[in-house]
Amino acid sequence: MTAYVVRRLALMLPVAFLVTIGVFLLTHLTPGDPALILLGEDRTPDAIAAIHHQLGLDQPLYVQYLTWLGHILRLDLGRSVTTHQPVLAAITERLPATLELGGVALLWSLLVAIPLGTIAAVRRGSLIDRLATGFTVGGVSIPNFFIGIVLIFVLSVTLRIFPFGGYVPFNKDAYENLRHIVLPAIALGTAGAAINMRFTRSSMIEVLNLDYIRTARAKGASWQRVVFIHALKNALIPVVTIIGLQVGGIIEGAVVTETVFTWPGVGRLAVESIFNKDYTVVQGIVLLAAFSFMFANLVVDLVYGWLDPRISYA
Amino acid sequence: MRRIAVVLAGLALVAACGGSGTTTQSTTPKTGGTATIALESELRTLDPLDSSLLVEREVFYNIYDALFTIDPTLKIQAGLVKTWDVSDPLNYKFTLQSGVKYQDGTPANGQSVKDNIQRYKTAANSKRKSDLKSVNAVDVVDDTHVTFRLSKPDATLMATLVDRAGMMLSMTAVTKGGADFSLAPLGAGSGPFQFVEWKRNDHLTLKKNATYWKSGLPYLDGVTYRAIPDVNAIVAAMRTGDVDIARTIAAKDVANLKADSAFIYKDMPALGFNGFELNTSAAPFNDPAKRKAVALAIDRYQILKNINFNIGVIGYGPIPPSSWAFDPTEKIYDKADPTAAKAAATGFTFTYKTTSDPVQQQLAALLQSQLAVAGITMQISTQEFASYQQECQQHKFQACQVSWSGRIDPDGNMYAWWHTGGDFNDSVYSNSQVDGWLDDARVVSDQAKRKGDYNNAQKQIVMDASYVFTTFGVSAQISNNKIHNFTVFPDLMIRMAEVWKG
Repeated sequence: MTAYVVRRLALMLPVAFLVTIGVFLLTHLTPGDPALILLGEDRTPDAIAAIHHQLGLDQPLYVQYLTWLGHILRLDLGRSVTTHQPVLAAITERLPATLELGGVALLWSLLVAIPLGTIAAVRRGSLIDRLATGFTVGGVSIPNFFIGIVLIFVLSVTLRIFPFGGYVPFNKDAYENLRHIVLPAIALGTAGAAINMRFTRSSMIEVLNLDYIRTARAKGASWQRVVFIHALKNALIPVVTIIGLQVGGIIEGAVVTETVFTWPGVGRLAVESIFNKDYTVVQGIVLLAAFSFMFANLVVDLVYGWLDPRISYA
Repeated sequence: MRRIAVVLAGLALVAACGGSGTTTQSTTPKTGGTATIALESELRTLDPLDSSLLVEREVFYNIYDALFTIDPTLKIQAGLVKTWDVSDPLNYKFTLQSGVKYQDGTPANGQSVKDNIQRYKTAANSKRKSDLKSVNAVDVVDDTHVTFRLSKPDATLMATLVDRAGMMLSMTAVTKGGADFSLAPLGAGSGPFQFVEWKRNDHLTLKKNATYWKSGLPYLDGVTYRAIPDVNAIVAAMRTGDVDIARTIAAKDVANLKADSAFIYKDMPALGFNGFELNTSAAPFNDPAKRKAVALAIDRYQILKNINFNIGVIGYGPIPPSSWAFDPTEKIYDKADPTAAKAAATGFTFTYKTTSDPVQQQLAALLQSQLAVAGITMQISTQEFASYQQECQQHKFQACQVSWSGRIDPDGNMYAWWHTGGDFNDSVYSNSQVDGWLDDARVVSDQAKRKGDYNNAQKQIVMDASYVFTTFGVSAQISNNKIHNFTVFPDLMIRMAEVWKG
């Protein structure tokens, strides 16, 4: 298994290299001049030229790329074009908020999806199955920003149960932290809940029809034991794949939700940096997102082995 | 500019509500408590040296003192400078307030003024260089007396020193802060509040400056800023009580807020102008008749009513009603006149660049329909802000929507826009007479003479229609009814020193 992990990590290097080229070109070839954004109403030709020089934008593109790559290899993502804050610090400062939101959203999606998916599979065609299917269609089709706006309007502005947006760190005030996270976590996690529920249901149906389930029943195992011990573990393999992608995609998912709920995470930083043409920060965040995906996929592959002993990593 | 466009679209709005600056609901100030203020975008820096955003200036006015201040009628008032003698146009003599200290305990004296101006004029990342171009040097006479030596007469300098170029910082704090000073200016100002912490995208906290030199002030224990980049979300946050004061909301929400006794909405004319520029260096608008046709065909009253919900007034030129140079008789393009427009020019097509902001999109659609009546076809090109801004600045446009936040001195609303080669002269406008008036107004000190220059220049600029003016915006108090003693200033800044909560 160690050899497998090392091989997989080594394979990440060429992918990461391609990602650096992609993200660099994306941020540098899109129209717009960071100097104009930085200067706003204070622009003068001298000031524009000074900023171009300061940021190295007067150098050929390949020189700019190689300089940036050199810094990355030394684990230096540079400083934000707009705030001069080190990019790594800007990201790590916001990462806990994003991870907390992503984690709670994932927890919410699993708490809804696995029981609901299991029940829907066991009671196929029942009212609960149909309601669950309806929830799936709604959860997948309604964009999370809309869910967010509706939640804010109903539970925050009208009923005043939850605060409007913002973030309170857990170590500062645990109760307020939970109050602030409920709405964004529901908004962010609902689509995932719907997808996970669907996968749990269909995978469960497939597993329940397999021979070993029949054998377990014939041996006299109770229905609950068959469903929750024998079937569910195997049925979760495709769900784990999806969850892996969802974990890797926390940052992307958080982009919209964090903006709607003014949640101070990496997603909101990404949006703001794109608008400000703060390319160093955008590059840093995209790299981070790409690495998150790659690592999440590796972890998923390792979890397969735990769920299904037949899978080996020779 | 995107932010300003949004602000002015939100507030682009006048005098329906008019009114004086101060809005006092109760007379006995209470001390204590904190107020939360919503900002429509996140700040980039807390150092006036490299600031370029309106929201940054708003925070600065509560941390730093400038050499001068203004009152709500835009008259220059004493700030860190107590009295001044500007009778010699090349040597401005300032007497400073005595005994003022920065929040870190260092004295705000003559040497500090000299060091600050020097820093603004020379630092590599300074955006204040052009503001202070006319200042050759600052001579320190003693702790409370300095002389600004000018390379040429500059009638706009005192107004410039009200804003960032005149904000004084403790050089000890600047040195101590090092590369991160702009993110955490601890103890750097001498203003009513001092910096505590800035969690970007979440909050910026200031606390009362217990040793503020204006005795008894401020009343509040602290101020918290929250960046909420959506005007609808700002209104929601006001309703939930998460914020006490907002700087801008969408025009459509103003009537509801005014009708709700839990809130206070009052406004006064601001300093900026709204409209769109026409590129005089390329077809079709290198033909003055076509520019005139567009200016004549636009129905400004409809824009004010349908887009700005009657918040604001009609814009007739670059000088707004809040300015001492405002000319109420100048109404060259007033009501829409499609017949006259057709007589000037018709049957041509042009492209109007704008952003995806919903209010700007509505405005573009309305302009399109108004121009169609005069036989002019306007195509709308919606672009992402960064590319739109770049193309307008590089003169790659026919028509481009761009607003201006405004400056205290009329020079700031005109010179860069319409002087030949001006920094904001995107439309490549050039008129030697206008250049002459604008140059003259910079060097003469007599305000009546300056007003004459600006009015002459304004008439010519409006007539030539390289920019089509539509509306003037407002500066507003938007708060809940617990906020007292709030003074509205035309420059859109929220000054918190005298505000109290109760």
